[in-house]
Amino acid sequence: MNKRLLVTRPNFDRTTRYVSVWAKDVIKVAEQKGFTVLDLVGKRANRREFEGMVRKHKPSFLFLNGHGSADAITGQNEEPLVEVGVNADVLKGAVTYALSCSSGKTLGVQAVAHGADAYIGYREEFIFLFDEAMRTRPGQDELAAHFSTSSNQVALSLLKGHTAKEAHENSRQSFARSMRKLLTSEATDRESAAIRYLFWNMRHQVCLGNGSAKI
Amino acid sequence: MTLEDEIRQIVLARLETLPEDTGMSIGFAGELNKQELISHVKNGDMIGQTIIDAEMQFLQALKTGVFYE
Repeated sequence: MNKRLLVTRPNFDRTTRYVSVWAKDVIKVAEQKGFTVLDLVGKRANRREFEGMVRKHKPSFLFLNGHGSADAITGQNEEPLVEVGVNADVLKGAVTYALSCSSGKTLGVQAVAHGADAYIGYREEFIFLFDEAMRTRPGQDELAAHFSTSSNQVALSLLKGHTAKEAHENSRQSFARSMRKLLTSEATDRESAAIRYLFWNMRHQVCLGNGSAKI
Repeated sequence: MTLEDEIRQIVLARLETLPEDTGMSIGFAGELNKQELISHVKNGDMIGQTIIDAEMQFLQALKTGVFYE
């Protein structure tokens, strides 16, 4: 089996710096499980490197982090990496998890139509709360961690050998567990506020294509 | 007052309780601080509407008891 993971981690603003740090946990587990990790971080998260790496190494799993829209996922400084009508076929033969806004609405559908095994993403904005005091330490932001834990569950489940559909369901269950915990514990005001956005992300996460696909 | 107005008031009340150092990342809008969030909700623009939609969907889900299944 082709055990290669390609990760895109732009890091030019608060949001991308956070998701870039969150992805490190996934990279660590991937390496422990013997995956070759192709890590396009910062300025390396550009279309030329991305397309070149995918076409050369044919990773079985693409973990795309960054800003996005219904039609595209972007890299460093919002350069489009994958776009509807341009290069959605680059995801062919792989399972993709896009931690990016709204790409499950159109791009994911087109990627599957062009031969992607499966595409897990979000139909609407991915929303998270963060602690301003943790600006330079995203990995220690406990408020944001409520969101990263459940999001990362998609990638971690895939790495553990679960199918795309199972990974999607495991992530949704993780969101639900976080919400239940915050609803039933003595949560702070901002943790209580986080619950509706955890629900939003859970509700709008989609798994497209072959739910039985594995990486 | 319409249901939408009532939800907006609930959202604003919720946002008012947040510590000032709480921020939100919301896709197309980037990063917003508490006062910016409140302003968007009051203005009823696209960002404000997304925050209201999130609240409405959450309240509807609470009503069905989905979190306690």
